Amino acid sequence: MNPADIRITAEPIDSERCKFLVSEQLHAGGVRRFGSAEDAAGSPLAEAIFAIPGAGIVELIVSSNLVTVVKRSPTPWTALGKQVGAAIRAAVASDAPSVAPRRESGDAAPVDDDALYEQVAQLFDQQVNPMVARHGGSVELIDVQDGVVMLRLGGGCQGCGMADVTLRQGIEGMLRQHVPAVRGLVDVTDHTAGSNPYFASAKK
Amino acid sequence: MTRPPRVLLLLPTTTYRTAAFVEAARQLEVALTVASELPSTFEQAQPDALVTLDLAVPEHAAEQAAEFARAHPLDAVVGVDDDTAVAAAAIAARLGLRGNPVPAALAARDKHRQRVALAGAGVPVPRFSLHSIDGDAAAVARDVRYPCVLKPLRLSASRGVMRADDADGFATAFARLRVILSEPAVARCGDPARHILVEEFIPGTEVALEGLLVAGELRVLALFDKPDPLDGPFFEETIYVTPSRLPDPAQRALAGTAQAAATALGLIDGPVHAELRFNERGAWLIELAARPIGGRCSAALRFESGDGLEAIVLRHALGMQPISLRREAAASGVMMIPVPGSGVLQEVRGVEAARAVPLVEDVTITAHRGERLVPLPEGARYPGFIFARGETPEKVEAALREAHRRLSFLLAPS
Repeated sequence: MNPADIRITAEPIDSERCKFLVSEQLHAGGVRRFGSAEDAAGSPLAEAIFAIPGAGIVELIVSSNLVTVVKRSPTPWTALGKQVGAAIRAAVASDAPSVAPRRESGDAAPVDDDALYEQVAQLFDQQVNPMVARHGGSVELIDVQDGVVMLRLGGGCQGCGMADVTLRQGIEGMLRQHVPAVRGLVDVTDHTAGSNPYFASAKK
Repeated sequence: MTRPPRVLLLLPTTTYRTAAFVEAARQLEVALTVASELPSTFEQAQPDALVTLDLAVPEHAAEQAAEFARAHPLDAVVGVDDDTAVAAAAIAARLGLRGNPVPAALAARDKHRQRVALAGAGVPVPRFSLHSIDGDAAAVARDVRYPCVLKPLRLSASRGVMRADDADGFATAFARLRVILSEPAVARCGDPARHILVEEFIPGTEVALEGLLVAGELRVLALFDKPDPLDGPFFEETIYVTPSRLPDPAQRALAGTAQAAATALGLIDGPVHAELRFNERGAWLIELAARPIGGRCSAALRFESGDGLEAIVLRHALGMQPISLRREAAASGVMMIPVPGSGVLQEVRGVEAARAVPLVEDVTITAHRGERLVPLPEGARYPGFIFARGETPEKVEAALREAHRRLSFLLAPS
């Protein structure tokens, strides 16, 4: 594939986190989270992004056609976004799989992701989804990796002007309270595709 | 064990500023309670994190906040727009928190009340008069001087603001504004929606000043040039670029006028956003709001400390140790993408090409597919924002224009 044909949309969440929506599928096997350059070994896309000089990349989450990058450096997404885009294009254009299947660690896992997944799924089913359903929304649990919950918002939550409040003040608080072993929360929603947000920003 | 400070953040459900403020609070590691005018579905489950306040009635909101604070002590309150700035003032007064006096916040919100206070204090403002929307437009048209500008008292984003060059134009604009003010969502604000401000058109260069009031003293955070002329007939904001290319004396005069306006209104603490003009007669105060810059535009501001504008506002409200308010060295700009026409948005093309323009940091489309786009003066919502940074304001402005040129909006008839 010609790298120039690959379309990538960057959606900065804040100064540390940015989502990249790619026109091609990157990883068909669910969600892969990379917490370090060592984790990235064997996955060309993740290796290339962790190797961006001076970027201070600390986390990478790849699901389907979405890449979420977390950095600690003050480098603006302006400069960095273009380098991440170049890494994504190179990985997609090559014949090798961009992301290797998740390795089963031989070491004792510090967090039991499977157990967490069950607890989070139960919380979402029994409490979170009934709550967001009142606004026509839905929350889909995508995966739990290294204690980090990955979710996707749908319906009235997708593209909603108050989605960050729902995530941080609502869902994250519920997770802290009911599943305290959860270490973080990542929203992998493509909010730009939301066509029926419950609250739409309307003022200047 | 000491508890982390808690901020009550007043976020109307229509604001663009949710993500920026919520993330700033997280970065500062303060406890955050978000208050909106409509309930979150998580409010019962997270009673310390979410609360519903009657933001339209500041006194009621203050009572509700005081009730909330009995269980969850508050250390600061922050509003993000014109209405919540008034509610924040009322809550601050009720709870003894840092904030502006309620009369000052009310005067800043209402364009006529503001003009009266500023003119009375000798701050240069356009000549103005107030008229009922039920009045005789033809009679008013005979009396006003042209060119003039018709404005609603409360609406934001230049909604309803129109220039008239003669009596016929005045009658047309008056009728059009009357329709806007009669819309149920607008009419709900009561008496302010029953009146129209008519003021002298002030020719000249327009700028926007972003500042922070600290015990009544204005600290200028940024002065934005608006390189597209705002001469009417409507006043759609497009490009903001900082630092300003105006000569230093002009910049000092503009800052001095903004300070005089804040003092005249009685504002003492927190963010201010002022629109000013400069011409051969000096600096003119067009409007001053007791809130930070609107839309997603705050992303154009970055400070040497590493903070964004929202973190600075929260720090100040909490009385945290002073930090540098010096803006980064780079030039920076934002374009509020003009509404491309009237219709239902089907698709936006060229976003990646726009992002590929050198110096462009991001292109954010905030309108969603299927949304009805309404141009000014009836509309109030930009379809998106373009951000750029570079060595000089000229390069930043050129990058914004090139990025915008690469975008195309497909609309279906509404």
